[in-house]
Amino acid sequence: MAISRKSRNVGLTLAIAVTAAVSLNGQEKGPRTPWGDPDLQGIWSIATITPFERPSALADKAQLTEQEAAEAEKTFLKTQNQDRRDGAGTDADVALAYNDFWWDRGTKGVSSRQTSLVVDPPDGRVPALTAEGRARATARAARGYDSWQDRSLWERCITRGLPMIPGPYNNNYQILQTPDNVVILSEMIHDARIVPIDGRPHVGQSIRQWFGDSRGRWEGNTLVVDTTNFTDKVSYRGSTEGLHLIERFTRVDKDTVRYEFTIDDPATFTKKWTAAIPMARTDEQIYEYACHEGNYGMVNLLKGARAQEKAGGEK
Amino acid sequence: MRHWMIGLALVASCILPVAGQTPSTYKAPRSPHKDGKPDLNGIWQANNTANWNIQGQAARQGPILELGAAFSIPAGLGVVEGDEIPYQPWAAAKKKENAAKWLELDPEVKCYMPGVPRANYMPYPFQIVQTPTHILVAYEFASASRTIYMNSKEESPADTWMGWSRGRWEGDTLVVDVNSFNDQTWFDRAGNFHSEALHVVERYTPVSRDVLQYDVTIEDPKVFTRPWKMSMPLYRRAEKNAQLLEYKCVEFVEELMYGNLKKKP
Repeated sequence: MAISRKSRNVGLTLAIAVTAAVSLNGQEKGPRTPWGDPDLQGIWSIATITPFERPSALADKAQLTEQEAAEAEKTFLKTQNQDRRDGAGTDADVALAYNDFWWDRGTKGVSSRQTSLVVDPPDGRVPALTAEGRARATARAARGYDSWQDRSLWERCITRGLPMIPGPYNNNYQILQTPDNVVILSEMIHDARIVPIDGRPHVGQSIRQWFGDSRGRWEGNTLVVDTTNFTDKVSYRGSTEGLHLIERFTRVDKDTVRYEFTIDDPATFTKKWTAAIPMARTDEQIYEYACHEGNYGMVNLLKGARAQEKAGGEK
Repeated sequence: MRHWMIGLALVASCILPVAGQTPSTYKAPRSPHKDGKPDLNGIWQANNTANWNIQGQAARQGPILELGAAFSIPAGLGVVEGDEIPYQPWAAAKKKENAAKWLELDPEVKCYMPGVPRANYMPYPFQIVQTPTHILVAYEFASASRTIYMNSKEESPADTWMGWSRGRWEGDTLVVDVNSFNDQTWFDRAGNFHSEALHVVERYTPVSRDVLQYDVTIEDPKVFTRPWKMSMPLYRRAEKNAQLLEYKCVEFVEELMYGNLKKKP
């Protein structure tokens, strides 16, 4: 991601062959592929400083005024500045070892000025966990460093998984289209998610995958993607293999695709919930993200834990 | 899978053109992107023993006694033109050493991204997603992928596992120039290797609805005395419901790579 921040190449900016916009069923005109589907192609960033859940201070407020939004951006940039150097040698200072060069959290809130990415329920908070969900959350929190299996899929370089959530860096995605497939390419960890849109049924229930099994369809101008068949080895906020993920992609203007996802997993959440994240056009590129190939982090983390145990044992 | 392989083998023996024959008069369907180029979209897979050894070899017993005939090493004719790889003397010695230490050194064993051209002839399917400006090649193995930038002059900002691919059309042939490799990938399980100076030129030519002729030129002045070539057909996975599934192999190698660092019970 360091590279992508430094090298902007207009030469490779996606030049999409767009046919004349057609009005479909009286819906809004927008860019179309040569075969008439809405055109979502391009490289998009979901970086945003808007919090995922609504902060308690804004409990009754779904949307910021323009002035409040500007204020919030200013405050964020100040408090999250990783380049500041105060208290050299302290733990707080060491925690800033990754300075702002390494981060790519974005500098702006979402253009809708919503106070959280969670839009449903209306309080902007992820619904309460079920009893079973709470038990799983407790077990998860107790995980340590005994084995790689205690660490996240991200640390293990397996996948960043679904749904697409803004992270501290690598927020870029590329969308490509053919009449039969929509492809969402994620730089991290080089996952090319190929979504068939040709009406075929899901694969059999015995095939469980990290990315589940996705099927897409066009509903007017919106691409709706249904994903099932998750493996129980992957979990989003505690979700189970029964998770039914519904994602919606809508090109709302030249520079924006609205991305919405709904989490439906009654074993984990007491009700369905939905988040909305704008994907903003970027002139950056997707580069190779080799992760597992250089996962010194995992080796050092396990080594460190073993060394610590040994030191503890000798006390 | 097995039926598919047998089916393909039968078809292959009857009708497939061989590299070097007169170019096919086959005219591929055009891309739905309406740029007048051949449509290479689809799921493809080699059906040969190149991932075992790009050169010809007789069958032999596999490295794990318990697996017996189920996972021994098949015979194959090889895919290298003239069956000779022009190694410099030091490199020929290193290739031998690699072969002797196959399990310890082959990056495939560790689930590392396989590089190009090896990714195209591993025993897993890959999918081509074609647009006029970007052609994505998504591989089932390790979820590796690469983007072919069409008509681009841009250089890679860094060395990579899967190379930096720039493509152009020569008639109905997609020609891809790949460079900016690191020196970590191999060509096969027989220890054939390259340096970071590797330069690959790939040519994908549709010769029938379900076959791409795949010709590759390998150049690496640090390792070989001259450029050399491989060629093979790539077959369409013609099952109606064909789709890439996941072979996210990291979890299959964690015990192997980190097992000694696990907490002892």
